Amino acid sequence: MRSLSFVQRVCLDFTGSLFPHAICLGDADNDSLNELVVGDTSGKLYIYKNDDSKPWLTRTCVGMLTCVGVGDLCNKGKNLVVAAGAEGWFHVFDITSAAAKAESSGQHEWLSGDEQKPCFTQHIPANAKVMLISDIDGDGRSELVVGYTDRVVRAFRWEEPPDATDLSAGHLILLKKWLLEGQVDSLSVNSAPDGRPELMVSQPGCGYAVLLCSWTQDGAAVPGESHVNASAGGGPSRDIVLHLTTGRIHNKNVSTHLIGSIRRGSKEDDSKGGLFALCTLDGTLKLMDSSEQLLWSVQVDHQLFALQKLDITGDGREEVVACAWDGQTYIIDHNRTVVRFQFDENVNAFCAGLYACKQGRNIPCLVYVSFSHKIYVYWRVELECMEPTSLKRVLEDRPGYTHLLSKLGVEPSDAEAVRKLIGDVLYRDS
Amino acid sequence: MMMADAEDLCPFAEDSFSRFPSQSNIYGLCQAGEDELLAATLKGKVVCFRYQDLQQKIRPVAKEVQFTYIPVDAEIVSIDAFNKSAPHRGLVVGITFIKDSGDKATPFLNIYCEYEPGSEFNLESIAQSCLNLELQFTPFQLYHTELQYEEGQRETVFLLSGHDQRIHLYKENASLHQFEEQPVERFFPELNDLPSNVLWMNVLSIEGSRRLTAFGCQNGCVGLALVNQRGPEILQSWRLQQDSPISTVLLFPLKVAAEISSTCDQGNQVMEYNLLVSSTLEMAVVYRDVERCGVSRPVCLAGSDQSDAALCALIIDLDFDGQLEVLLGTYGQDLLCYKFQQPTGSMDGQFQLIWRRSFKSPLLSIIYLDLTGDGLKELAILTIKGLHILQHSLSSTADLVLQRLAHRAGTISTAAQIQPIAAQDTEQTKD
Repeated sequence: MRSLSFVQRVCLDFTGSLFPHAICLGDADNDSLNELVVGDTSGKLYIYKNDDSKPWLTRTCVGMLTCVGVGDLCNKGKNLVVAAGAEGWFHVFDITSAAAKAESSGQHEWLSGDEQKPCFTQHIPANAKVMLISDIDGDGRSELVVGYTDRVVRAFRWEEPPDATDLSAGHLILLKKWLLEGQVDSLSVNSAPDGRPELMVSQPGCGYAVLLCSWTQDGAAVPGESHVNASAGGGPSRDIVLHLTTGRIHNKNVSTHLIGSIRRGSKEDDSKGGLFALCTLDGTLKLMDSSEQLLWSVQVDHQLFALQKLDITGDGREEVVACAWDGQTYIIDHNRTVVRFQFDENVNAFCAGLYACKQGRNIPCLVYVSFSHKIYVYWRVELECMEPTSLKRVLEDRPGYTHLLSKLGVEPSDAEAVRKLIGDVLYRDS
Repeated sequence: MMMADAEDLCPFAEDSFSRFPSQSNIYGLCQAGEDELLAATLKGKVVCFRYQDLQQKIRPVAKEVQFTYIPVDAEIVSIDAFNKSAPHRGLVVGITFIKDSGDKATPFLNIYCEYEPGSEFNLESIAQSCLNLELQFTPFQLYHTELQYEEGQRETVFLLSGHDQRIHLYKENASLHQFEEQPVERFFPELNDLPSNVLWMNVLSIEGSRRLTAFGCQNGCVGLALVNQRGPEILQSWRLQQDSPISTVLLFPLKVAAEISSTCDQGNQVMEYNLLVSSTLEMAVVYRDVERCGVSRPVCLAGSDQSDAALCALIIDLDFDGQLEVLLGTYGQDLLCYKFQQPTGSMDGQFQLIWRRSFKSPLLSIIYLDLTGDGLKELAILTIKGLHILQHSLSSTADLVLQRLAHRAGTISTAAQIQPIAAQDTEQTKD
């Protein structure tokens, strides 16, 4: 297995402690560059920008933050930062307006008083653990999905009067509630073979469930809790399609993570439905497509607790990135080529994605939250290729190469002669 | 800050990292044959690293080689390997170690060499045929160099420095098929009567069957000699004193713009020989044109003292422009690259830091060899934690190769129809 040691990293100060889902990368201020958003257990929200070790912005929320997100929650074409706490308080921050206001007033110390407060707060059911902002029903508008510690998943939609001037006039309305058999450790959206988005949640034992958005099917049905209660009354709901994957699962209760919508690299392929990956705490990793076809399965002897996707080679195809508690990180491409990296500390939380850490552009980064009050952002993780490759193979893919060789009287299959020629050309021809 | 900017310019990308179970030291890495390397770790293990070629794919393989007659309680000090001088070419591996059986630590030199025809290059069988020599001193650097005899024959010998303030020479006795110690002053008069223990030595053959020999000592003394290999006879020698132990000395040629007063017609560049000296506390220094000026023209490598002790150095052409660059590996976990800037006007030629790359642990040793067997060499870096293989960026190197192949093909047949690939600035390299 190919193993690498990434070194270029930025160290961010973070003195709090956090839940594994209270970290995400996203464009919080709509400048097309991604920021790192972290929420801690005392209700503080931190937004880090570029390679600055101090947070760019901090915000105060009510309660213990368990999950954070960045997305166009209100469907206004603008990203908002959202944070949900264990006690049920849901916070929305409009970072863009705040940043613009500060810029125009030329203030630097603008992090005091009212600015600290969220633009919008609503009490939703307590004990949220995971959150997703995405279009789950195919209407082109974002919904909010929240997973709870009591095996419940709820979907909400932002609604506001047409004449609303700011967020305070709107509110979240409950669309649906699903009750699952096992703990939900991740929420994700993956496109079905017909191109519709499908809401997927992970289930223990390397399983997953597809949650159906019934309000789209029986459009007239009144969305709300009562409707769901009725259907959930007699055993498992028909709106939940449970899938258990086969393989070497030693423990059917083992915690499982899932990530969907893994880019295949070309438009054509993407129309065949999305790819999604699963990982378990006992070290199983799987890549599957939406028709339940297994692409590969990898067994490792590390406890995987976080699963992400990241295009590390820049070819448009996203690789699967899984991280273990002890810092061992696996990057696996669609052909099952594995690259390993050992982060030298135990990991509190992990995420991977694009972050504008350096050079004023979004670059692939691996983000580790340690137990030593630091967040480490590895910003030079891009690889030319996943496999070890020789110059010979790269040259053979170039047009005109074999023609040049034959012109120079060297047989392309004569490895020794080619090696000597390339060596001469590089080290003597100057 | 300049150093921060320089971080982005490193043209290498890591291709693999192999973690070692125990740490090594600055004498623990050597090339063995064309495309393999050997790394010795303290706990008596030797790892052979190479790339395996399987069905259009290559895979890094780090495999332990069981060298015979190395006891389990041995601690390896140094390792070196060479191919015998033509026409024999067989591989010879030397390993020094200290066997510590509790009451008394005994140092040994094991020399592995296979005489069976057909097996001279097979590491597995070489590792089984051992000559075991007990030493009377604690060994340091195990080095090899080629001797040139009057009749034009060549022979490669081992040189081993020790804590007895001497350098020992081991030479093959062809009739007995074994290596034996020979008086070093017979072949290297410049290495006789040393001022202190030698930590690093380097020998460079130059034209006119002469050689430059340099050594750096524990007490900070650096010795340099110009020797006529016929005789051998010391033509000139220099000594200088630094304030801290010398970690490496390296001799290297540089093409330098000829002085205006020079009437030399053959182009505007002349070759000069330089000596790089890195020490554990002070800045690394290059002594320019040592053949003519001795140690009178020092040039400091600015910033080389900012990253703890420089433990290893390597001088290679890493941008393919025909001019050598200086690489320094430091205990401060940095790899520094310096490039020679041709003199302009009244400014003398300088070495400028062009990039720096950080590692996860201190750097111990660096070598540059073609591990992947494609003509392009890779950088192998031994750190306290293991072995890093750094590879040149393949896409930009491929651009350069195609450009130069097209140039070659163009000079062969004038009707070249290949599009020139404009990717790299290599203007100055075309002459």
